[in-house]
Amino acid sequence: MARGKDKKKRKLEKKQEGDDVPKKIPHTLETLREKDETMLVNADTEEQEEAQKDMELDELSTYYENSYEPKVLITYSDNPHSKTRIFGRELTRIIPNSLSRYRQRSSVKRIVQSAIREDVTDVIIINENQRQPNGFLLIHLPAGPTAHFRLSSCKITPELGKDHKEITIHRPEVVLNNFSTRLGLTVGRMLGALFHYEPQFRGRRAVTFHNQRDYIFFRHHRYEFTKDGKRAKLCELGPRFTLKLISLQQGTFDSKRGDYEWIIAGRRHQMETSRRKFFL
Amino acid sequence: MVVNEDSQLDIFVGSTIGSFKHVKYYTDNTKNNKKCIENLVDVKSLQKGEGITCMEWGNKEQTEILIGKKNQQIQVYHTLQGNKCIYTADYAEGHVVGLGKVNNTLVSAVSSGTVRVWGDDANEDIFTGGKLDRMRVCSDDTLFATGGEENDLKVWRVGESQPTFSAKNLAHDWLQLRQPVWVTDLVFVPGEGGRVVAVCSRHGYVRLYDTRSQRRPVQNVTFDLAATCIAPSISTRLALVGFARGQLRQVELRLGRPDKGYKGGAGAVTGAGAGGGRVLSTSLDRHLYVHRYSDKELVHKQYLTSKPSCILVQTETETPLRKAKSEREVDDVTEPADDMDAIFETMETVGDPGPVSKRPKPSLEGSTEVVEDTEAAIAKLLRSTEKTRKRREQRKREKKKKSVFHNA
Repeated sequence: MARGKDKKKRKLEKKQEGDDVPKKIPHTLETLREKDETMLVNADTEEQEEAQKDMELDELSTYYENSYEPKVLITYSDNPHSKTRIFGRELTRIIPNSLSRYRQRSSVKRIVQSAIREDVTDVIIINENQRQPNGFLLIHLPAGPTAHFRLSSCKITPELGKDHKEITIHRPEVVLNNFSTRLGLTVGRMLGALFHYEPQFRGRRAVTFHNQRDYIFFRHHRYEFTKDGKRAKLCELGPRFTLKLISLQQGTFDSKRGDYEWIIAGRRHQMETSRRKFFL
Repeated sequence: MVVNEDSQLDIFVGSTIGSFKHVKYYTDNTKNNKKCIENLVDVKSLQKGEGITCMEWGNKEQTEILIGKKNQQIQVYHTLQGNKCIYTADYAEGHVVGLGKVNNTLVSAVSSGTVRVWGDDANEDIFTGGKLDRMRVCSDDTLFATGGEENDLKVWRVGESQPTFSAKNLAHDWLQLRQPVWVTDLVFVPGEGGRVVAVCSRHGYVRLYDTRSQRRPVQNVTFDLAATCIAPSISTRLALVGFARGQLRQVELRLGRPDKGYKGGAGAVTGAGAGGGRVLSTSLDRHLYVHRYSDKELVHKQYLTSKPSCILVQTETETPLRKAKSEREVDDVTEPADDMDAIFETMETVGDPGPVSKRPKPSLEGSTEVVEDTEAAIAKLLRSTEKTRKRREQRKREKKKKSVFHNA
C-alpha cells in the first residue's frame, strides 16, 4: 500500500516538474556495465595511440586501407539440410562478391589452403545440427584471424514471411554497433571486412551487426527516408540471426595447435564473474 | 630467493607490433598502477615487420637486452643507457628466433634454420637441418641448443660444425607410427652446466634430455594441449609451461609429472618467467599476469595495449623508471609541506575543547525538579490513582447492569 501511495506522489511530483527536467537514464545491465580497461574510451592518449598503431599493423589493416576487394567463400558442414543451404545462399545475396559451395568432405585446413590459392579473402563455414544452423566459423585469409561463433535463432526469409526477390544486388551499407573493447573491435573489424568498402547507396540496403550483451544481432533492412528527411522507414528483408563469440584465434584455423587470442571454453566461471561484465 | 614484504620486480615486455615496455611490479599491490609502465620505443614511428619475436639477456648482470625482430634486425639495448647498436641478420630467410652471447660474441638464429656466430672479422654460419622455432644459448658454457618443427633438439658447441648432442625421437607407438616432433621452446635447466635441457612442443609434450646419459628423453610428460613456451620456475627442478589455449602449468622435471597450474589467462601464453616469489606470464589477450608462487593465486593483472610476444624478468639488479627520475625531484619539494600539515593537525586538537565536552545535561536538571516537590508529586500520583480506581469500578457496575446473565 505504502509503495503504491508513493508512486502516486512521485507521479504528481513529476507532473509538477513538467517536461523541462531531462529524463534520467534507466539502470540496465549495459549502463551499469563493469569498467573494462581495454575499452578505447577509457584509455589515455598514449594508450590510444598504441592501440591505433596495433590496429594499423594487424592482419585486417590491408582491408581498411582499401587495398583489395573482398571475395568470400561460404561453405557448410557435410550434407547440409535445406534450411542451412537456404541460409548460406541468402548470405551470398547479402555479402557482395561471395559464392556458396558444398564442402565435399574437405577439411577446413584444406579449404583454407585452396581458398588462399584462389585469392579468396574470407571463408565462412556454417555448421548444422539437427537441421538447424548452429555454428559460424569466420576465417580471414591469408593470415588470420579466425573467429568461431555460436549461431542461434536463425530465421531465413521464408520463415519471416518475406520474399528473397526483394533483395537487390546493390552493395549494402554496413552498420557495426557497440563493439567497444579491443576484442570487440577485432571482431567488428572482421565482420566489416566481409563487405565491399564502397556501398551502393542507390540500393538503400543496410546490414546491421548490433552487439548487445555480447550477443551480435544481425538484421538486414531496406530503408526509405520520409519526405521531411528526418526519419527513415525500415523494411526488414531477412534473414536474421544471432552470433555469440566462442573463440578468437590468431592465424588461420588450427584448433589443436593454433594460438588463441581469446577463448572462453574451460574458464567460463573465472571470466564471467558478474552479470554486468561483457567482453565485446 | 627470499620473498620480501615490499620488494619490486623489473619486467621487460616486447610486443608483436614492436613496442618494448618496462613494467615495474611491486609486491605491495597498492603501488601498481598505469604509471609503472613505460614505453621504451616511440610507438608512432613503428612500421610493419618491426614486431619483436625474441628477447634475451645479453650478460649475467642482466643490464643488456638483445632484441630480435621480424625484419631480421637485432638490437642491443642497455637498461640504463638505452640503445647501443643494431645488427642485421640477413644471411638467411625468416625472422629471428634465438639470440644469445657466448664470451661476448653474438649468436643469432633465424626461422629458416641457420645460426650465425658473429665474429670480429669472420662470421660462422651453421645450418641446423630444418626450420627453427627456438634457439637458446647456455649461460654457463659455450653451448647453444636449437629446435623446431620436425627438427628435434640439437646441442652445439660454438666453433664446431657438428652438434655435440642430437636428440632421438621416442620409439614408435603401438600402431608402429612415428611420433611427430615439433620443438616450440627449450630451456637449459639452470645449475646443470648446460647438460640438461627441457623442451616443450605444440604436439603437447614436455621432455627432459640429459646429454650425458642417452639421446632419448629422460622424462616425457604429455598434455593434450599445444605448449608454446617453457621457462625455468623458481626452483630449478620445476619448469613453467605455457599453452596455446591459455593455461600456464608447472612441470616437475625430475619426477616427470605435472605440478600445479596458474589460472587467469584467456589467450595463448607467449612468455613466462619467475622471480621474487612471483610467477609472471604474458598472454595474447594483451595482459600481463602475476601469480603468487606459493599459493598460485592471481595477484595482479595488467593491460598492455598490444599483444606481448616475449617477457624478461630482471632478478639480478634493479632498473629505475625513466619517468621516476624526474618525478623524484618534485617529490623533494613537496615533502616539507606534508610536515606543516602534520603540525597543524596536532595544534587543532590542543586549542579545541571538542564537541564531546559540550554535551547537554537534561537528565541532571530533570532530577533536581523532582527533588524540589516530591510531596506534591506523590499527592498528585495518589489522587490520580484514586480517580482511575473509581472510574474502573463505575464501568464495572455499568457492565453488570447491562449484562443479560447477571440480570437473569
